[in-house]
Amino acid sequence: MRRRRFLRSSSALITLPFLESLGFQRFAAAAPVVAPPKRMIFLGFGWGVTRESWFPDVTTTGADYDLPKGLAPLQRHKKDFSIIQGLENQFSNEAHWGSTFYLTGANRYAVPGQSFSNSISADQVAAEQLGKDTRYTSVQLCGADSDGHGPGQSLAWNRQGKPVAGWNNPVAAFHRLFSDDSTPLEQRQAMLKQRRSVLDAVLIEARSVRRGLSKADTEKLSEYFQSIRDIETRIAKEEQWLDVPKKQAAHPIDEPRGEIEGYQEVKVMYDLLVAALQVDATRVITYRQPGGTTFLQSLGATLSGHNMSHYAPGMRQEVSELRDRKQSELLAGLIDKLKATKEADGTSLFDHVSLSYGSNINSIHYLTNCPTLVAGGGAGIKLGQHLVKADGTPLCNLWLTLLQGIGLDVPSHGDSQGVIKELVNA
Amino acid sequence: MREPQLVVENTTKPQGVNDARSNINGLLVAFLLAVFSQPSLDGIAGAEDSPRVVMPNHHRAFFQKYCLDCHDAQSAEGNVDLETLSFDLGTLQSAEQWQKILNALNSGEMPPEDERQVTDEDKTAFLETLSKQLVAARRLLADTGGQITMRRLNRREYENSIEALLGIKVDAGDLPDDANPGGFDTAGGSLFFSSDQFEQYLKLARTALDQAIVTSPKPKVQTRRIEVEDESNRRVQRLYRYHEKGFERWKEWQASGGKSPTEFGFADDNEAAFRKLGWDRNGADFAHYLAREKTQHGALLTVNEPNPQVGLVIPDDAPPGQYRIRARIGVLGDPDPSRTFVEIGFRGERIDSSIDLIACRKVNAPINDPEIVEVLVDIPILKKPLTVDVGVNTGKRVDIGERVIALRQRMPNVFKTGFALRRDSIAKTGANIEPALWVDWVEWEGPMIQQWPPASTQAIFFDDADRAKDADYARAIIERFAKRAFRIKDADPEFVDRLTAMCSSEMDSGKRFEEAIKLPLSLVLASPGFLYLREPASDPLPRDLSGEELAVRLSYFLWSSPPDDELLAAARAGDLTTAAGLARQTSRLLDDERAMEFVSGFTHQWLQMERLDFFQFNPKLYPEFDASVKLAARQEVYATIGNLIRSQGAIGELLESDTILINDLLADYYGISDVHGPAFREVTVPDGMPRGGLLGMAAILAMGSDGERSSPVERGAWVMRKLLHDPPPPAPANVPQLSRLAGESLPARQLLEAHMEESQCAQCHRKIDPIGYGLEHFNAVGLWRETEQVMVRRKAKKYPIDDAGTLPDGTEFQGFFELRDRIAEREAVFARGFVENLIEYALGRPYGFTDQDLSDAILTHGEQNGRTLSAYLHALVQSKAFQQK
Repeated sequence: MRRRRFLRSSSALITLPFLESLGFQRFAAAAPVVAPPKRMIFLGFGWGVTRESWFPDVTTTGADYDLPKGLAPLQRHKKDFSIIQGLENQFSNEAHWGSTFYLTGANRYAVPGQSFSNSISADQVAAEQLGKDTRYTSVQLCGADSDGHGPGQSLAWNRQGKPVAGWNNPVAAFHRLFSDDSTPLEQRQAMLKQRRSVLDAVLIEARSVRRGLSKADTEKLSEYFQSIRDIETRIAKEEQWLDVPKKQAAHPIDEPRGEIEGYQEVKVMYDLLVAALQVDATRVITYRQPGGTTFLQSLGATLSGHNMSHYAPGMRQEVSELRDRKQSELLAGLIDKLKATKEADGTSLFDHVSLSYGSNINSIHYLTNCPTLVAGGGAGIKLGQHLVKADGTPLCNLWLTLLQGIGLDVPSHGDSQGVIKELVNA
Repeated sequence: MREPQLVVENTTKPQGVNDARSNINGLLVAFLLAVFSQPSLDGIAGAEDSPRVVMPNHHRAFFQKYCLDCHDAQSAEGNVDLETLSFDLGTLQSAEQWQKILNALNSGEMPPEDERQVTDEDKTAFLETLSKQLVAARRLLADTGGQITMRRLNRREYENSIEALLGIKVDAGDLPDDANPGGFDTAGGSLFFSSDQFEQYLKLARTALDQAIVTSPKPKVQTRRIEVEDESNRRVQRLYRYHEKGFERWKEWQASGGKSPTEFGFADDNEAAFRKLGWDRNGADFAHYLAREKTQHGALLTVNEPNPQVGLVIPDDAPPGQYRIRARIGVLGDPDPSRTFVEIGFRGERIDSSIDLIACRKVNAPINDPEIVEVLVDIPILKKPLTVDVGVNTGKRVDIGERVIALRQRMPNVFKTGFALRRDSIAKTGANIEPALWVDWVEWEGPMIQQWPPASTQAIFFDDADRAKDADYARAIIERFAKRAFRIKDADPEFVDRLTAMCSSEMDSGKRFEEAIKLPLSLVLASPGFLYLREPASDPLPRDLSGEELAVRLSYFLWSSPPDDELLAAARAGDLTTAAGLARQTSRLLDDERAMEFVSGFTHQWLQMERLDFFQFNPKLYPEFDASVKLAARQEVYATIGNLIRSQGAIGELLESDTILINDLLADYYGISDVHGPAFREVTVPDGMPRGGLLGMAAILAMGSDGERSSPVERGAWVMRKLLHDPPPPAPANVPQLSRLAGESLPARQLLEAHMEESQCAQCHRKIDPIGYGLEHFNAVGLWRETEQVMVRRKAKKYPIDDAGTLPDGTEFQGFFELRDRIAEREAVFARGFVENLIEYALGRPYGFTDQDLSDAILTHGEQNGRTLSAYLHALVQSKAFQQK
């Protein structure tokens, strides 16, 4: 039985600032023009799409192509995104894992003696550099429902190839991003100090436990040490941000309330995501969005995600296509919001963000030609294009293109063989 | 997840302790020879001690015939050279190459269209071997060589460990899911630890300690009786007036001389129509409810509105703990017996439908002589009821959550269904379905306290009368607590120093001793000594476990909980190092009710019962398979296995049996009379009834559906995986989907026969589907049917059922009973599958080829001891593998 999610309602109303990065705000007087920062959004939706009606006709490439019905709700933004066909993760064989290797391109069986392994995801590569100056190094959002996504705790996997936890509750995400702690500064400093000493203390015990462990067990326990180190980094950051209030005045966003699932959940998370970038709480966000059973239920269908994914002409395909349209509708709304959000220099958030949207699953059990849409001006890629790459082009070529496009010095990612040249503006 | 109480009648037969080890001594000395003699491991060959997975040589002819024109060593088109490719799949590189070959054939990518095409026969044969060998190769490559990785407590174990330590039930549902692809939640290698988790552990520990450390005076046991008519009638009255007013407005509008709805003041056209509809649908029915004699004193439980639930709130100031909920209930008139169950649960967001089920109880007493229904409910850690807005109709906010207990007549847990039932009844007869139950009053009593201060507080503050509340005492408390939490391993002295200092500094900041000690104690519960089951060992392994380590392994295996005092005492006395002593403790643990933690945890994963929650069963098609039945159906599986273990039942009983373990609700569902009460008990299957054994269980059959239609594929694949120990390879990627017949109204069997048209599909489905045909007389929710009803585009058509089929080895059968007989004859392979799963679960690592000798020894021991479930469990515990790190 899945516990129903009750969201505590309250009248909390958080107001959001005009977009001003911390850097901008701090040095505004000294440096009149600071370029808005680059940001990345990765959206992953698990169960793929309806292949018959989502992909544009492969014979019409370039700017002159028609959007099929699965993408039709994005018509008004046709110049703002590109569709790329032919990409895949060559090692993926798990027909029901839509997100596990989506951003990593890893081979599940790469490590002898283990039945599962993974490697770092593209967002975490980006976060290592883009995350230095923000409150959160990266933010991982998840649907409450992981149906169709495969193993993992979000789209993100760390350097060690271990899952990175996500926030799967819109209310909790809201508070972490926007609620200010009303506790006096001194007391909060004392609390941070206590958290530090808590970590110091458990480290003593952990080191003592580590003594005398076998090699494999030592490796297992290293996850514990890693997580303590992660928290130390987080605390150091919190300390740095302690006296910086989270919110300033502007368009208000309501605290999510009621029982939010499926379509509404995605909508709310998209709003939070835009707001998080707007306040510069982070510059790298992944969202493993619910596209399975609860999403379908919110559209009035009673099918399970898996059942829908095995669509065939008839009711199941209708539901699958409805899912595509609704997801495109949500994405179009997200792009609207990104465009409407102005940076301090008059450009929009959309101009500085690199957004990708897709799944490791094409549809049904197909893992080739992963549905892929990229948008935003952040990575300097060509928009308004329909590209058809040779079958078997690594999806990691795209991640590499975006990482380099955003200005990171990354020589390769996963099984990448190079950037997608057609996307790179000359 | 709250697992509602499972009531099992005590069918335990005391039994003599058999000295298990003596029976299998000597059997444990085995070489890998067994690996080569297993028929199911065809294609595995090896020299000396390392098994190999090879593609049998005769398949080179396949390459010769279809591939080598382009992919020989010389041309090697696309860099693929199949001429010099190794036929040994046992390296990562080679497995990867073969995986690509499999994918290319499965997807139809190769051979190219203009080349010679593979005949169906050749393709099927090649793909079948290759997919099987790849599964074997993956297993070989993932083999840990018997090494057991230290494991973090999974969520179940964590909750149980906290409860054993503090007597507090915590909800670990917010911790990351431990689900392990294709394995168990006990596999150390697959249990990760992420940074958010550490903070969650700290928080959970703090919440538990806040509750476990109590210095307040003993709470008063309170009893509150609620006369339900007050709240019910007020609510119905309010609803009635709302609709009445709306109707009056509508009449005014009608009389307003042609004003449009918006001119008149309605929001839009719809509002006008709704005012009228609301009255037509509800007015008379609500008035009738309020006018009935039985609602003047007490409340009638109606299907959907006007009074779908009665409830009670356990107020904020009543402490968490166990409460007794009572209700005085009677049956109104002479309704269908399946309707005379009352469901008791936590109220959900919709008062007209949702309920988080705790229990379902049969009501027998008539209305003039009502009975008292009583259930015990755990009210968890203090959580205030949430007040939610339930919408304009009721105009009122209601309390929901885990302090609000609601009672209702049993009904589908889906709002739309209850709504439709009522609407249809009103349309047809002018009135709602006649209620089946009347409630006089509801009552809560509690908290039920056995001891005050609670044992947990006393255990932490030992000897507290004699001690000054200072740093010395704090140190002593921390040391003692850590030793218990770390399963009798001492904490590092420096760690204890730090924690003691922390307590002092908390006290310096003004906290009382009992408050100040909570922070250091919560750290103990977030440190690796508690969170990991550690068995220190320096390489090279293996080494023997100490008695105390063995006690820990044993109790986490059979209870998913830490060892109790008796087990630890036995370990200290050296009992566990003797076969007889270990067997005695194993028997004791298996007889204890905590063994149900093993039974449900293991069975749920072994039989892949998570599928039962994958989808919603369509309540319009299957209103009888409601939340209560689904829960009871799940419990039937656990109760059956638990009972077999305690009563020395044989494993074959799971394949075919004359008796079943059911309660009143399931008896009603299966159509068996004279079973009274919610406890599960053994009942003889009436002649000719298709029950007895896993294949006759509603839960197993329902898992083999998609909530709408039965699925011979799911059922067939499940039988192969779980009963015949011949798992089909995982669903391959990129196989073209068959959709030629989709959307046509055809019986399932005819739809599936299309699988035979494509060799990529046929390679597996020719084995899978025909097993499933044998179960086609069971509908999607496991009830017997004579015809298959197919709904396509809202048209229902009925088809006769053809339930003849074959097993993968070609054995033919006619229908369910023969299928069950044929499978029951294969008890030995079923036992092997069970034992392999048991090894994997108990040792916390994937079952590997290197475990073959271990499973053989366990099976032989089982063979010699009546193939009882407990014999297998004993043999595993007695094995060297279980006693070594």
